[in-house]
Amino acid sequence: MAHVVTPLDQPSNYKDSQTRVDRQKQNDLLSKSTTLYIGNLSFYTTEEQIYELFTKCASPDDGGGIKRIIMGLDRNTRTPCGFCFVEYYTHAEALASMRYVSGTKLDERIIRCDLDLGYKEGRQFGRGKSGGQVRDEHRQDYDPGRGGWGAQAQRLEIERRREVEERYADAQDGPGAVAGGGGDWKEAEGAPTDKKRGRSPEDEGDNTRTGHRTRLDDEMEAERM
Amino acid sequence: MSYERRGGYRRRPRDDYDDRRREPYETPEEKLKTAIIKLGEVDAVEELPRLQKQIRDFVPVNVANISEAIRTGVTEQPYKIPYYAALILLLHDRPEESTSSEEAPPLGRLVLEDFWKGFQAYLDKLAWRETRLCIHFFAHLTIARLISPESLVALLQAFTAVLDEFGVSHGRAKRAALCAAEGLIIGGPSLKHYSATSVTEIIGAIQAFNDTTNSAKWLVQPSVKVFSDAVAIENADELLDTVLFALKTLNDSNFAQTAESFPQPYTNLPAPPADVAPFNLPSVLVPPEIIELDALSTEADAEDTAQVKKEEWPEYFLRIFDNDISPDPNTPAGYAVRTALLDIISIFEVNRKECARLLLEYPKWNLPGAFKPKPGAPTPSDVEPVAGKDWQLESTIIETILGALLVLPESSHKSVYYISLITELCKLSPSTVGPAVGKSIRKLYGSLSEGLDVEASRRFAEWFAVHMSNFGFQWVWKEWVPDLELAVQHPRRTFMRRAIEFEIRLSYHERIAKTLPEAMQSPNAHTIPEQAPGPNFEYDDPTNPHHDAAQSVLNLFRGRAKAEDVIAHLDSLKTTLEGAEDAPLSVNVDATVRSIALQSLLHIGSRSFSHLLNAIERYLPLLRNITSSTEGKAEILSASAAFWKGNRQMVGIVFDKLMQYQIVDPTDVVAWTFANRAGGLDAFEWDLMRGAIDKANGRVVIARRRVAALRKEEDDVRARDNAAGAMDVDAEGDGAAKPAESLVDNPALATALKAFTSLTREQKGALSRTLEGFVNALSPADSDASAVTPNAHTRTVITESAWLNRANWDDEEWNAWQTWGWYRQFCRVYSPYLRNYSTTLYTVSFARLEGSENPAAELLTKTWNVATGQDLS
Repeated sequence: MAHVVTPLDQPSNYKDSQTRVDRQKQNDLLSKSTTLYIGNLSFYTTEEQIYELFTKCASPDDGGGIKRIIMGLDRNTRTPCGFCFVEYYTHAEALASMRYVSGTKLDERIIRCDLDLGYKEGRQFGRGKSGGQVRDEHRQDYDPGRGGWGAQAQRLEIERRREVEERYADAQDGPGAVAGGGGDWKEAEGAPTDKKRGRSPEDEGDNTRTGHRTRLDDEMEAERM
Repeated sequence: MSYERRGGYRRRPRDDYDDRRREPYETPEEKLKTAIIKLGEVDAVEELPRLQKQIRDFVPVNVANISEAIRTGVTEQPYKIPYYAALILLLHDRPEESTSSEEAPPLGRLVLEDFWKGFQAYLDKLAWRETRLCIHFFAHLTIARLISPESLVALLQAFTAVLDEFGVSHGRAKRAALCAAEGLIIGGPSLKHYSATSVTEIIGAIQAFNDTTNSAKWLVQPSVKVFSDAVAIENADELLDTVLFALKTLNDSNFAQTAESFPQPYTNLPAPPADVAPFNLPSVLVPPEIIELDALSTEADAEDTAQVKKEEWPEYFLRIFDNDISPDPNTPAGYAVRTALLDIISIFEVNRKECARLLLEYPKWNLPGAFKPKPGAPTPSDVEPVAGKDWQLESTIIETILGALLVLPESSHKSVYYISLITELCKLSPSTVGPAVGKSIRKLYGSLSEGLDVEASRRFAEWFAVHMSNFGFQWVWKEWVPDLELAVQHPRRTFMRRAIEFEIRLSYHERIAKTLPEAMQSPNAHTIPEQAPGPNFEYDDPTNPHHDAAQSVLNLFRGRAKAEDVIAHLDSLKTTLEGAEDAPLSVNVDATVRSIALQSLLHIGSRSFSHLLNAIERYLPLLRNITSSTEGKAEILSASAAFWKGNRQMVGIVFDKLMQYQIVDPTDVVAWTFANRAGGLDAFEWDLMRGAIDKANGRVVIARRRVAALRKEEDDVRARDNAAGAMDVDAEGDGAAKPAESLVDNPALATALKAFTSLTREQKGALSRTLEGFVNALSPADSDASAVTPNAHTRTVITESAWLNRANWDDEEWNAWQTWGWYRQFCRVYSPYLRNYSTTLYTVSFARLEGSENPAAELLTKTWNVATGQDLS
């Protein structure tokens, strides 16, 4: 149905400006992507709020659901800095979010969704000089949901801010810092005390599922441009 | 909201390609196509001659290109169909200068012949909507005398023939019936003139099919009166019923209202050339449904492998406004509006913003005077409101969208689509759409006490919350304050609580509390919780006897101790507790230790969804260790529910991930939910069960896909081998022996098949457990002494006299009524799955009710029989 209008679930000109993946490969990845970049979030919006909205595009009876949410954090302060990644189990769910959720409000801000190449270690951190998102380096307006001009915040948000500041203080980086969210069902393997079941069999399954492990050796920051 | 501004980023040379916005080059053919598709941007009638000229001037003539453009126009912009019919008529004119080639058929005819091929392709792949819209086009062309009425009759009869197929599915019959009915509504004036008998026969065939669907209708009516078998209900209309009402009105008047319901721009144009005989549509057969003969049936019982078919139910659309505000879909003109709007909603699902714009532009494509002019817009002097029309556009649109949102058992698209579409409409025209939305909310709220179905009411609450979240949570709650007098479980109060809970999930407690009047904020109002929905770590309290033990476990988790170290610590903790002098004998030490461990882990994971995932992933071995028994699985669910008792969203999330990580199975969640519900079954419990059943069903889907993919891979390999083998001179390979062989050497396929079998078993288990739970909860106490019947009212609330007395119902009656509602939803929404196992499930759950004359037992069985297709009365 694309002759008369442009579908909203087309990849936009959003991209990971620092990916080392060539354009063809990027298009391939996007055409199967289960991950969304979500932008223009309030710094105070929680993962649960995001979950609540994005779960409306989930299709659990088709083997889908929200796999994980990765909150974008200020590199220095480890506090949310206004973006996140939502990863589903299926591509169709990511497309549904593009059609139905992108451009609607969450926490009273119009959020934007873009298909993403997929989360890679390190991308949860802001790439701006100050540690947050690049866009906030250049912002001229007063935006209470994104930290005002500086330290200002509205009365109601003070409490939320306090919680938010503490929430991710324990955020780690490096391999395994971000949970996988659980993979496909597997036949139980014998005794439940099997110690081989480390923390990321799902992650491995995941890579084979999308079939792409892009060679990204050096530091990959996050952030769209 | 513009996202175009991209301040200050480092542009890299190789990125240039991405950002350069090039005007795509359009070939002359494409330009012509675009012109055809864009017909009517301003005024279709005025543009027609110009477009005709543009088409004729284009050399060399490319008929396929023109017909493809018209096909796109017809199937993707159905509101333009009458104008495309007029275009075809214009293209039948022979240009003056070309009188020499008298024998050559006119361009319009060539295009029509090519268009037919496209229609045939839609039909072959059973693209029902496209097929139906092409039939609209053919029907208009019949009125324009370009298609012979006898061939249109034959085409429509090909569709009514589907209704007589043996064992035709409801969905297939419904779609075929609509093709025939809508073709007749539009082409009726010509068809009736040609053969009144055929018209009566077509209507009769649709009516006969419709008469077989009464029990199915009973199960999907949005306004529930379980005691009544009446098909017609006050505030909703069923799709086939409406089309039949419209057809009968038309037939009685010799289709006089067709011209009052659809624009017929071709009637003002010169008739087609006399020497051109009308086109005879070739005869067709509607191809059978593609039954995916599932290769799996060799491995498992055929019962287990059938594909899931949805949209197999009659469709009731709620009416919200009176006939003078929005059209009555039982009339020809009203049906035309309803179906036109539904088609726009469904076609433009890919772009809700465009969809909203097109909906608000719809009056331009209907007849003048059908809708009230926009307030403030200059009223064209020549347009008089038409008696019986003059409807309010925005109310009509919102009513149609809400009708589609609330279709039972499921809407065609995800509910969030309809919700976002309404949001876009409000953004486009706040002053006119806003009031229509407000009135709709009040009307739906009112219907809550008139038996609005529990699932419809849940979706209503979901819409309400998401809508308010997009519009500053501005709702005048105080008008509902008087309803705080009603029973706490009254559907209106349930709605308020649920709507507020959903709002809080999208926002935060304090923000939502602020929007409520004081009367609703009081704890006695049972409307909003006093506290923000936080965790509840019971060992946090220093006076708790296990406070210290819990702290020690918590510290291990905080220090990211290894799972086996925590397990060892828990073992020693158990020994300590067992050895404690003051240990009461009744306490189950195992259970206590499990509870401490689980709650502490949840506490670590309580900061955010990600923290939860991290905690679970890090301690999977621990979780598996303590949930190895059935009671362990039930306990982890209980511990999670207790820990998150103030936050139902988190209960749902935790249960979902516990299933995802295979700590518990869907069946465990269903069993736990029935065992731990308070009184009746609420939407919350339903959501938990639905999450579990969907998980079980989704896993089967994944497993089936995997098997299919591996099979295909294997087939490809075999095909390659065979091709290679064929070239070998001494190829002795016996093709028939290969499959069995390759199953042995393909361990991946063997594993996948094994997984498929396990997961199918689990699916059946989850469905069976749910059914059993419902039957136990609703069945009469006297039928089985051991049955659990916590609610004595399940038997009484289903009678007519009880329903009429509902003003005096208390919480228990409403609980029982709700539980019945969720049982109905379970049966109808999972009917495609339940049908696969109907024999076994019936034996397990219903055998003991057989012969019982208790009304509850009868209703349980009747609902089941209707859902599984065994009651076709």
